[in-house]
Amino acid sequence: MPEFNETGPEKKGVSRRSFLQFAGVAATATAVVSSARVAMAGNGWTIGLEGVPDERALWMYRTMLRSRWWEEEMKEAFLAGKDGLYGAFHISIGEEACSAGVMAALNEDDYIASNHRGHSHLIAKGGDLSKMSAELFFKDSGYNKGFGGSMHITDVSKGILGMNGIIGPQYLFAAGAAYSAKVRGTKQVAVAFGGDGSVNNGWYYSGLRNAALYKLPMIAVVENNGYQMSMPQQRTNSLINLHQFGAGLDIAHESVNGMDVMAVYAVAKRAVERARNESLPTLIEAKTYRYYDHSGLAGAKPGVMGAFGLPYRSDAEVRAWIAEDPIPKLRRQLVANSILTEEKADEIEAEVRKEVTESIEFARNSAAPDAQAGLQHVFAGSSVSPSQFIV
Amino acid sequence: MVNKPSNFAMLEALQHGMRNDPHMTMLYEYQRPVAAGPLGNVIDLYKEFGDLRIPDWGPIDEEWHVGGAAGIAMTGVRAIARVPSMCVTRCFELVFNQVGKLRHMTGGQVNMPLVIWQDAAGRNPGMAGQHADAGQEALYASIPGIKVVVPSNPYDAKGLLAAALQENDPVIIFHYPAIDGNPTDVPDDNYVVPIGEAAIRQEGTDLTIVGYGPAAVEIKRALPGLEEAGISAEVIDPRTVKPMPIDPIIESVRKTNRLLVVDHGHETLGTAAEIIARVAIAVPGAKFARSTFPDAPPPGAREMIAWMTPDAPKIVEAAKHMVA
Repeated sequence: MPEFNETGPEKKGVSRRSFLQFAGVAATATAVVSSARVAMAGNGWTIGLEGVPDERALWMYRTMLRSRWWEEEMKEAFLAGKDGLYGAFHISIGEEACSAGVMAALNEDDYIASNHRGHSHLIAKGGDLSKMSAELFFKDSGYNKGFGGSMHITDVSKGILGMNGIIGPQYLFAAGAAYSAKVRGTKQVAVAFGGDGSVNNGWYYSGLRNAALYKLPMIAVVENNGYQMSMPQQRTNSLINLHQFGAGLDIAHESVNGMDVMAVYAVAKRAVERARNESLPTLIEAKTYRYYDHSGLAGAKPGVMGAFGLPYRSDAEVRAWIAEDPIPKLRRQLVANSILTEEKADEIEAEVRKEVTESIEFARNSAAPDAQAGLQHVFAGSSVSPSQFIV
Repeated sequence: MVNKPSNFAMLEALQHGMRNDPHMTMLYEYQRPVAAGPLGNVIDLYKEFGDLRIPDWGPIDEEWHVGGAAGIAMTGVRAIARVPSMCVTRCFELVFNQVGKLRHMTGGQVNMPLVIWQDAAGRNPGMAGQHADAGQEALYASIPGIKVVVPSNPYDAKGLLAAALQENDPVIIFHYPAIDGNPTDVPDDNYVVPIGEAAIRQEGTDLTIVGYGPAAVEIKRALPGLEEAGISAEVIDPRTVKPMPIDPIIESVRKTNRLLVVDHGHETLGTAAEIIARVAIAVPGAKFARSTFPDAPPPGAREMIAWMTPDAPKIVEAAKHMVA
């Protein structure tokens, strides 16, 4: 794993069309970082496809691509400005392996509680791309009918208890959902996703501590992307390996390479089995990286994957992590194991890109919500008064 | 029918709810859901419903009780969070930014069958500062998406809680122990006091006096003094702070042309201010007054807190002043 703030030769931004190829080559070339990973190999850091059904591996590949291209195309739309997109937009590109690896271990009726950087969680949990696109366009056909936007997308019918614009409640909600599963005796599992910043908040402690106390089938996945907004993680917490917090609660806890979907899947599978069979919580820390800024599009350019020139991190660091990109890594594994041919892999990517483009077209062509609709949905089946007018 | 303490009456409502809904779950930390009735009968919800649906005591972690219960509710399982009286605003952020907003923020997707049973202290001498508060229902009523009820007697406490347990939206019920000073018969059977429905406690023609919860208890104590002073007061207990049942109050003030609101909360931005604003817009030219606890924390000494609390003698004096 590259160290944060690593300095190195500056390279030009990566062309969007060639990022997979670039990352593939670079990953081979930067095998030097593997010394740290070798030391952690016993902890599931580097893992092959052994024991993973082909279909599941292919699902992970397609899922990561769907998330990657959906966010990339949405970024392009924001930058192009033609659609007049506005509002919050927290890109999770770079972190897709955390979502796909965890979700590959879950059942359809399991719960997830997500955060502001949750597009990839939702897509991996079965979120509908068209409804997601439409929500970013604030259209009536969006998941939240234009009430929520990017940060609040929810699909209760798929166990997605929602993204959330506030840091921390997902740990309470997932613990509560796990409590509910226990009361109903359903064997469902609930997963909370948060960033390294979210562990600094009391609700994190409360959610995990009660999951430990009541032996809840809950999993907390901390996506440690190195920065709490623009503050390096090591300056916000005395722990560098955030999973160690689990030791104090006497719950299962482990760290995993969040840039390796198979490694994440292996760890998640153990955690899900622990939750489902023993009704016990697990804290997973996935070391990962976001290629873009915390929020918005500072340093982002059309046709280039990643945000460069940001004041709080070096471009060399960004490139080093892009070199670890989980998508080409899995593609190489799939091809090497004859699960995919290069041609088939290209075909899958073309299908995904078509799906993404269509979802954005759907959003573009959808109707805006009625201006008066904001009075609805405060309570079930009733509206509040339009008190802004004098009658 | 017999008089029952409000806590017992509310546990009756909860027991009925939990018997009829095999998953309904309560998280709490302080007041164990056990109570004795007037005839020596005991309700022990822990014993009846077990360690999962009602844990045997909970950790001192109000944010868990409310946040965990919200998570339970989001999965379609009805949940009750009982929060102790000294922590009336500890979960305010969760209620404001999550519980109250999730249905709207998700375009109507999230049901929140969550009841927060908020025990409240009331203006008690000897507790001082943090354990003698009242009026925080106004803070919660200012939050979109939350229904707020405040019973003033054991009958309403049971009926309002039973109504809250039928809602798919979050309801916070403020339970002040002072309401046991207003004893009422409480039927054994389950019944509902509808949310958003005021009670006209007494009809009158000279002025309208409005108060809920502990203020309503003091208004009732003031009735003999009002009668003695020859004042015909119409007394209304809104019982629900949000959605505020303002229509019967407006109707009453159209008749009496005077409105006195009594509130154990603070003066600034308290419920009294809201009631007066709504009625003033609808009945211009009427006379308005409020008697509230001052904008000061509650002091411990009996002399101070008693002097600051709107009680029966002060209500009688205020009424005399208004009709003079």
